[in-house]
Amino acid sequence: MYGFQQNGTYPPVMASANDSKWQKDAADQNFDYMFKLLIIGNSSVGKTSFLFRYADDSFTSAFVSTVGIDFKVKTVFRQDKRVKLQIWDTAGQERYRTITTAYYRGAMGFLLMYDVTNEESFNAVQDWCTQIKTYSWDNAQVVLVGNKCDLEDERVVSMERGKQLADQLGLEFFETSAKENINVKAVFERLVDIICDKMSESLDSDPTLVSSQSKGTRLTENANTQNSGCSC
Amino acid sequence: MVPEDDSEVFEITDFTTASDWERFIARFEEILHEWKLVNRGYLQPVKKGDFLNCNWEEKNDELTFADFKFKVTYMVLKTSSSGSKSGKETKEEENEEDQDEGTPTVFSDLMNMENDFPFRAHCLSRWYGLQEFLIISPASTTDAIDSESRSKLLLSSASIALNNTGCTIPVYVQVQQRWRKLYSGTAIVPGASVEFEMAHLKKIPQQYNHLAGLLDVFKSKLGCVYISMPPVSVSVRFTYILQEWIHCPWPQSPPDFSSFLECEVGCSDYGVLPFGACIDPISELNLSCTWPSLSEDMIVENHVYSDLDPLQAPQWSVKLQMTEDAQCLLGEYLREFLELSQHKETTDELLGHVLDETDKDQAGDITQALQRLTEPAVGYNIPTLGHVVSSATTKLKMKPDEAPIPGDILNGVLLFLFPDAKKSEKSESKEKETVEKSPRSLKLMEDLSKQLKSSPVNGLTHRLAICFCIVNHHHGGLRAVAHLWQEFVLEMRYRWENNYYITDVEHGQPNMKASILHQKLQMLNCCIERKIKRESLGYGHGKDLEHDPNPTDHADGSSRPLSPTYQRRPLSTSSRSQSPSSGSMGKRRYESLDISSSDEEFFECDTEQGEDEADGEDHESFADTASHKPDGRLAPIKDLKLLNSGEQVYIPITQEPAPMTEDMLEEHAEVLAKLGTSAEGTQLRARMQSACLLSDMESFKAANPNCILEDFVRWYSPRDYVLEELEGEDGEKVKTGTLSPRMKIPGNMWVEVWQSAKPIPARRQRRLFDDTKEAEKVLHFLASMKPGQVVLHMMPMLIHAAIVKVIENEDQDTENLKVLLDQIMNKAAKVTRSPLMDARKYEDLVRMIELAETVIARAKSLKTKFTSDLLDMSSAEEELQVFVNSLLRQPEVIVRGGPCGPAGSIIHKLFTAAQRASHMVLDEEEGEIKLEELQKPTSTVPDFPRPSAREYILRAMVPRPAPYSRVLPQKMYCVLVDDFRLAGAFSSDTTFQ
Repeated sequence: MYGFQQNGTYPPVMASANDSKWQKDAADQNFDYMFKLLIIGNSSVGKTSFLFRYADDSFTSAFVSTVGIDFKVKTVFRQDKRVKLQIWDTAGQERYRTITTAYYRGAMGFLLMYDVTNEESFNAVQDWCTQIKTYSWDNAQVVLVGNKCDLEDERVVSMERGKQLADQLGLEFFETSAKENINVKAVFERLVDIICDKMSESLDSDPTLVSSQSKGTRLTENANTQNSGCSC
Repeated sequence: MVPEDDSEVFEITDFTTASDWERFIARFEEILHEWKLVNRGYLQPVKKGDFLNCNWEEKNDELTFADFKFKVTYMVLKTSSSGSKSGKETKEEENEEDQDEGTPTVFSDLMNMENDFPFRAHCLSRWYGLQEFLIISPASTTDAIDSESRSKLLLSSASIALNNTGCTIPVYVQVQQRWRKLYSGTAIVPGASVEFEMAHLKKIPQQYNHLAGLLDVFKSKLGCVYISMPPVSVSVRFTYILQEWIHCPWPQSPPDFSSFLECEVGCSDYGVLPFGACIDPISELNLSCTWPSLSEDMIVENHVYSDLDPLQAPQWSVKLQMTEDAQCLLGEYLREFLELSQHKETTDELLGHVLDETDKDQAGDITQALQRLTEPAVGYNIPTLGHVVSSATTKLKMKPDEAPIPGDILNGVLLFLFPDAKKSEKSESKEKETVEKSPRSLKLMEDLSKQLKSSPVNGLTHRLAICFCIVNHHHGGLRAVAHLWQEFVLEMRYRWENNYYITDVEHGQPNMKASILHQKLQMLNCCIERKIKRESLGYGHGKDLEHDPNPTDHADGSSRPLSPTYQRRPLSTSSRSQSPSSGSMGKRRYESLDISSSDEEFFECDTEQGEDEADGEDHESFADTASHKPDGRLAPIKDLKLLNSGEQVYIPITQEPAPMTEDMLEEHAEVLAKLGTSAEGTQLRARMQSACLLSDMESFKAANPNCILEDFVRWYSPRDYVLEELEGEDGEKVKTGTLSPRMKIPGNMWVEVWQSAKPIPARRQRRLFDDTKEAEKVLHFLASMKPGQVVLHMMPMLIHAAIVKVIENEDQDTENLKVLLDQIMNKAAKVTRSPLMDARKYEDLVRMIELAETVIARAKSLKTKFTSDLLDMSSAEEELQVFVNSLLRQPEVIVRGGPCGPAGSIIHKLFTAAQRASHMVLDEEEGEIKLEELQKPTSTVPDFPRPSAREYILRAMVPRPAPYSRVLPQKMYCVLVDDFRLAGAFSSDTTFQ
């Protein structure tokens, strides 16, 4: 299919891509958990570059502006468990808001991105946050990411301001550079950690959950049925 | 194997355990050792209340005597202190073993008066006050030790084992049938043994029907050969049952079912779930009056006289007996409704035969039938939408007398669901009663709406679910549900075809936090909205104005009744005389309309369509540079001029992106995900999603002749137009702009789409959202559902409504109810959010809701029974409240102050009233017997009935078997209910016999 099978970088993906149920393929034995993540933020803050750096470890100075929504997959290991990350990349243009917000519902985690060289994208963070609150399930996790930190000369948003805003919104915060590969992996790892913590927390607080199918988002379903009671 | 070893091994035959009997003893001893019950210190006496608060630990093993299998059970009370104390005592005992000090556990238990009448305990512990014991009983439930000699043999074997091991725990052998609970037992303690004997009779022998007789039995059993026998200590408990609650008949008045059948009730009755129990959830109150440890000299009870007046009892305690099935209405309704989900029949299978028959009827007959249906029996001027539709679509033809739901009821139901069909004056009169709600319940309800995946409270979907549940219960189950669903689907189709909004379903994109059924209705509303907009634009001004209900008026969700438009509809009540002709006319018109809209491929149609189309083709090749008449402008963008011509840039009117329901979105995402993660996949995904971009570009081109991609980007994605300040040759700063690098990538999506975009205004473009198709999809989704599926789809809303009902009725004082409610809400959130609609999960949920309902009903019932009106002192109100709450929480409650306390005096009053009432009907004879027994000559009717159970515990310290033997504890427990049971523990000295 579209040549991706030659792309041997992510063997676990294959089975799932062939599966009819993209969200809940419990039959897929190649991973223990599947998390759906979403990258959002203003137009041209570097969402696509960031994702390419993480998933393909490649960087191009110019990616075609995303139309609608796109995705990549990466499988990570966490405590001997294979966690498949399905990362959805969204178009930042205002016009695509209605289309992209529809996808918020299934997401377990968000990377809210702004561009440290662009004041406007920073000012929009609050709005994006509101959007998450409105359209996602209440227990979705969010990490604030200030991208393009390599462009020190053009910086207009200081790290302190980013940190301050993150504290105010109750989010974790990272400054990153997709170009220089700074903190890219760390952001995803941290987000996965937070999601796992949240999952085990809800498992702890509610023992009945172990046997039940899902809490919060559907994506945990796969995890819960396969590894009930596991703290991730 | 090494040969040398072989020679050393020789066979050992253990001749010591030859017989079955010996093997039995040996095995029993083994078990005692395994369980570490031998050579162990004595346990501390049980503290007061430990029987109630602590748990029993049980150990089991098997034992055989010949081929007869036995089960050995060890029971021990796990007191909080037992763990640490026993360890310490073992040490102590090691030191003091020879001194033989301390009281054996069995002796201290027998004489311990702290737990004389435990509420909950093993019968052996109830009778003998034991905290640990062993039972040998037949392993199979059908076997029984029915001969005395066999039980004696077992018991003596056991006592040999006890003697051999030095185990001081009493051992019982269960004899006779299990249900008789007959045990005989023995215990061996240093220097003494205890025999446990039991008598069980079906009837109470007259001479032993009182304390005096029982004392005689006890004393004769002790064989008092010496003169100065110490007084016997006596504990007595009488239990009285109160079943008649004279002051307060069960307060729940079941809903007036007759009103439903006669259809005289207001519409609101279809939207209210019932709540509460049909039967008093509290069936009886047991009052236990206890006289703890009196001397036998102090009380007299014989066949002519009794000192044991309950009002004189020093201790009162109360427990409640709950009705097993209180027939809680809410639970019952929910359960019945959910059961329908198991049915697999389709609507056609259920209603087919009724429909077929009427199909043969002539058209005239149908309208007559419809007229009969629409007879204004309710007094409203109802247009009965469903029936109008049924004529228009020739789908639902049903003989009124064969329809599962009679016509007038159906009218009422439909009117309730669609109040906008009513005349305007009427809708004003129907005001929701607002019940005062506590902040807690308001908070809970708000949380509930957030957590559950259902629909807004009081919206159409919400009411629909409640209504279906009630219709199921009252109007004929599955067939009625199928009928009403079909009517509902027809109504939905009618509204779609005739441009009436579905009221009480909020407008806008389907809310993914709502249930799928609700999203579908929202989707249908979206379609109707688009259709209205499309038609109002398309059919021009004046041409079809009368058909145009002002879209903005409805779009804001106002509840403005649609009656004016409805009156123009065929078959409305005012024009019923001409209904046949106008009906068919109307139908034809709708059909033609339908055809035109479904064939219409474009965003909207225009009379000049052909002409413009040609225009568009002309311009095609010119693309960017062509000059044409600007079209589809929305508003100018401030300070933005076209780069080429310097003209004002206008924001075009654009098509709105297609609304999607959750299942559509999932499908869409699945398709996108299937393309994989390769570059080609990405490209394909972008192309698939470029329709919106193309449409916007075309609109932009139409609104801004002579525009270029840079102009578009400046509006659409401003950051992709990079401004640079360049210093000109003359030192003047010149601002020049250019597309961002990513927009300059050769052959990129944006450029590609821009090149292919023609200047076409949004209204003449191909529709991004095909409302006709989508509406038909929704209608098909609704119509193709089997009634069983309909039920499942309604469960989220119904559960939501049921929980709201529980919250409304919540009793703030009941602590465990809060916990239960939290559990219900958590579970409901999980179940409703699960993509799989699992009927079994809903069953669990319904059970939990029913439990909450029962708990609430109990609390209510109890509160009406113990009202403060019955109080003598108003100051004791708080005390009473504490009493009532603890009754709901604890299995048995001590009445503070006994008969003299505030709660006690109410209980007394309740009993007195019940006695008076019952004696009015009872014949003289029985009354006299009671009088005689209770010896209350002052009043004609005793305040209390005969005790339903009488328990006596007799204790004495008497030397046995000879007067010179050691003084040892002796105990006899007697319980007189209908049957008669004596359980005696008699110790005897084994040294000085």
